[in-house]
Amino acid sequence: MKSSLNFLLFCIIFLFAGISNSKSLKIGIVEYPPHLIFQNNQVSGKLFDYINNVLSPLNYDIEIIRLPNGRGVLELKKGNIDLLLPYDDVTKDIDTLASPLFHPVPGLCFKKENFIPILSATHRFKELTVGVPLGAPIVPALKNSEAILLEIKGDDAINRGIALTQIGRIDAFYHPSPAQVYHQENKAYKELACSYFHGYSNSVFIAVSPFMKHKDFQVVDERVKEAMAVMTYSYYFAK
Amino acid sequence: MVSSCMHIVIKSIVVAVFLLFSFLSTLSYGQGDKNQHILNDITKMYMASMTLIFKSQPLINQRGGDKTVLFGEDFIDNIKMTYRSKYGDEFPELSHFLKKMLLQAMVEVMEDNRVLFNDDEIGFKGIIPAIFAAQLSAKLSTKGVGLKIKFTRTKDDIRNVLNLPDEWEEMVMKKVINKPAVYFDNNGMLDGNPAYRQFTPLPMVANCLKCHGSMEDNPLNFGKDKSQWTNIDMTGFEMENWTINDFGGGVSLSIEKSVLE
Repeated sequence: MKSSLNFLLFCIIFLFAGISNSKSLKIGIVEYPPHLIFQNNQVSGKLFDYINNVLSPLNYDIEIIRLPNGRGVLELKKGNIDLLLPYDDVTKDIDTLASPLFHPVPGLCFKKENFIPILSATHRFKELTVGVPLGAPIVPALKNSEAILLEIKGDDAINRGIALTQIGRIDAFYHPSPAQVYHQENKAYKELACSYFHGYSNSVFIAVSPFMKHKDFQVVDERVKEAMAVMTYSYYFAK
Repeated sequence: MVSSCMHIVIKSIVVAVFLLFSFLSTLSYGQGDKNQHILNDITKMYMASMTLIFKSQPLINQRGGDKTVLFGEDFIDNIKMTYRSKYGDEFPELSHFLKKMLLQAMVEVMEDNRVLFNDDEIGFKGIIPAIFAAQLSAKLSTKGVGLKIKFTRTKDDIRNVLNLPDEWEEMVMKKVINKPAVYFDNNGMLDGNPAYRQFTPLPMVANCLKCHGSMEDNPLNFGKDKSQWTNIDMTGFEMENWTINDFGGGVSLSIEKSVLE
């Protein structure tokens, strides 16, 4: 009798363990250097490592789906992915986890010979032609300066802005997160240098699908909060 | 006999109440004292980091070379060393999370500048103590931990609008400008919440004058004929003609009470 009970208990535990292990989580990832880098069909970068470490104790079967820029939100809305990272477009009315992952700072990219290191010296912008992506929120320090702002249209505005700076058609380009350009793995690094409007940071989040189960959302959100309290991603990246 | 007993009981109660109040007031003073101690530690850690950034200028601006001491644990070790030599005291115990948070934010700021520091094609990187302090303040404000720290000065002389003094700082500076002393306020406000606030005035020193002094203090003019001198400092700002006797501004630190209590 006792051994039958033990067997029954074992079966129940096994069954429930199986259920808990069968939970899946589809995470869409968009390239965001230097935090997330796509290379040789692989995702790498410290943000990828951090998220893996944070979520692994939850025992989800995690599927990583690499997505081109602009596709992420679409797939999230369709429910083809549960989470999307990173996500920084707060205008799109998408739910996110509560804790921002990090805070990119907007800035200006220059050809190295024209580099202005301190952007609070706004008088130095006088008569500079600065390219800005159409619709991008511009920091007041630039908006109120005497720079000539040239709007650059199109989905590829950022890459075009960088290219125009490189060939000298504009004096500088306003980038919402110049760290994505100004890093040593980028070819443009050899010609460009960027400086930052410190004090005007944005927030980068993990976006959540409207179809994600509330319970899963709570579990993941709580886990990320806990992890951030122990060590923020920014410090993990820096240390 | 009964009245004598009553008298003794009443006397005992009065003494007990008196002792209790004395004890409670000691406790409350002790707590305030402890909080001020945390504010002092944080201010000194902040100032030690600015001193380290000043001392590191040749390394920061040099083209090439190993700059690992500017990052991560190495940087923290150097802040601790600078603190010990600046104040002749041990580096504070990291007993409160705000102190840990401050050190982490310093490391994060240095990491944000890593690419620039290692860019061999750029000489002057622009990460002078005041800029480092501004970056650190901005970084801390993203943390949402109820800690605000700012290197500020009187309103008319501020170069970076983000460092403009608020009303409290204006009021304090008026008090301490001619009689420099640390000003502590345990009834301040921060973002609408009760806060401890402290202002630590800084003396003007020769290094400040390299940017804020007059043309003869400007290192860009060293060795040049007077006719070629410029009143634009190395950061691109017009120099203010301050002298060593002028007010040096100060470090304004605010911590929400709920964080400490």
